Amino acid sequence: MITAAQVEPVVPAPPAPRRRRVRWGQVAAAVALPLLLVLLWQVSAWIVQPREWILPSPATIASTGWDVRERLWYHAQWTILITIVGFALATVVGCLLAAMIARSRVAGLMLYPWIIVSQTIPLVALAPLLVLWMPDFGAMVTLAALISIFPVIVAGVDGLRSTDPELIRAVRTLGASPGWTWRHVRVPAALPRLFTGLKLAAVFAVTGAVVGELVASDRGLGALTRLSAGQFETPVTFAAVVILALIGIAMFLIVATAEWAALPYSRRGTRPGSN
Amino acid sequence: MPHGSDTEIAIRVDDVHLALGDDPPLAVLAGADLVAPAGEVTAIIGPSGCGKSTLLDVIAGLVTPDSGSVVTSSSGRPVLMPQRDALMPWRTLRDNVAAAAELRGTPRSDARALADREVAHVGLAGFGDHYPHALSGGMRQRGALARTLLAESDIWLLDEPFGALDALTRSEMHRVLVAVREQVAPTIVLVTHDIAEAVAIADSVLVASPGPMRIVSRVRVADAGPDAAHEILTSLRAAGVNA
Ligand SMILES: Nc1ncnc2c1ncn2[C@@H]1O[C@H](COP(=O)(O)OP(=O)(O)OP(=O)(O)O)[C@@H](O)[C@H]1O
Ligand SMILES: [Mg+2]
Repeated sequence: MITAAQVEPVVPAPPAPRRRRVRWGQVAAAVALPLLLVLLWQVSAWIVQPREWILPSPATIASTGWDVRERLWYHAQWTILITIVGFALATVVGCLLAAMIARSRVAGLMLYPWIIVSQTIPLVALAPLLVLWMPDFGAMVTLAALISIFPVIVAGVDGLRSTDPELIRAVRTLGASPGWTWRHVRVPAALPRLFTGLKLAAVFAVTGAVVGELVASDRGLGALTRLSAGQFETPVTFAAVVILALIGIAMFLIVATAEWAALPYSRRGTRPGSN
Repeated sequence: MPHGSDTEIAIRVDDVHLALGDDPPLAVLAGADLVAPAGEVTAIIGPSGCGKSTLLDVIAGLVTPDSGSVVTSSSGRPVLMPQRDALMPWRTLRDNVAAAAELRGTPRSDARALADREVAHVGLAGFGDHYPHALSGGMRQRGALARTLLAESDIWLLDEPFGALDALTRSEMHRVLVAVREQVAPTIVLVTHDIAEAVAIADSVLVASPGPMRIVSRVRVADAGPDAAHEILTSLRAAGVNA
């Protein structure tokens, strides 16, 4: 039989955590492709000289965008507001629905199949109806929320169902109530997947807002693309599209940062080979 | 070490039957018996899928058997340590261990202080702030052991606690377990696949049949002496296991 008076400690002692430095090489790699494409576009515009209202060069888009910056900002504010409110609504309602579906079998049977079926409706087609039923702002927010809620629900349900049964088994013998298990085990276990859904939803919300504006509004970058293209102000249209892309990127980065802050344990690079 | 029939019995499982699943229900336990003397290590060894984890669930009170009785002498509840994923990935080692005290109603800051003590106890001093994914498999199981200690239960149900570890780490963990046990003397039921592990740690070894499970023989390691491993192997073969 083995005996040991004292437990042998683990060696080596833990290393002190190191701060991560900004890696300029990685930053350069990330922006290389778009820069190259813009450059190519500019150069071919110099050579081919297409008519401005058909395909303006990046330089024209930039200078026109700067000239009409107040008009762009007026529309962008509206789109940003609709995107954020729509996304927030989708997050709150989506998480509630996911919790209900994961928690109760009956709710799952009643709701989940219909939520999936609802995705086969082209939600864009609802825009004119929504505008009939409620004020512009409400209609646009509803559309943004409807388009972005699906990934929240699916990721939330998958996440909540993904808890390791062994973990639940262990904490239950430590005296965990179902409420404690839900709050301290099932919800945290669901977060990584939920954030994947939220990142998709953040980008979808921009699409939802723009589509609504495009179809049924006079304000917002979606409306601006429609109106400016109709009047052959093509550089303005392009500038609006660029800003929309920036809004989408910003939404994604905000959620990714929230994820980074909320899930310290899943940060990359904490173990060699993990990225 | 306490010995034989004159000792107190900590767990007595009598003729437990249990079927799981609904279409159709599968008989998992078919008259399982188990007697675990207080302060001893009772190992259960048997083929994969025969129902060993289910038997631990029954002892832990997580599952109610269809028939038969389970009596434990423990004042508190038995505490269970699974093979893997015993720690919550979103909590640091310290907070994982502290959960055991939190769940007994200890305020969080006190629970953390207690956790630090147990973390040091299992040889992980200085690793309290690490998340489980930054620990090796052996260190994680040491952490799970620290949490089991902090649960302050006198019955430990260890479900293949070292099954996922390499041989070297496993024997290191055996020494950790033996050392920890000398200080707190819980009654342990240890499920294992490993005859050498059973002989090294256990006072007696129960051999389980393929499912639906029954206990087919009991080998007292001290009585069997150097033949213990051979005796276990023979009973396993007699039960129809390709060992
Ligand atoms: N909830 C359940 N519903 C239906 N069948 C189940 C359920 N849980 C376990 N079983 C079945 O019961 C049997 C015993 O499972 P158990 O996990 O207790 O085996 P085990 O002896 O611990 O196996 P292993 O050594 O692989 O861990 C298996 O055949 C399993 O498929
Ligand atoms: Mg098992």
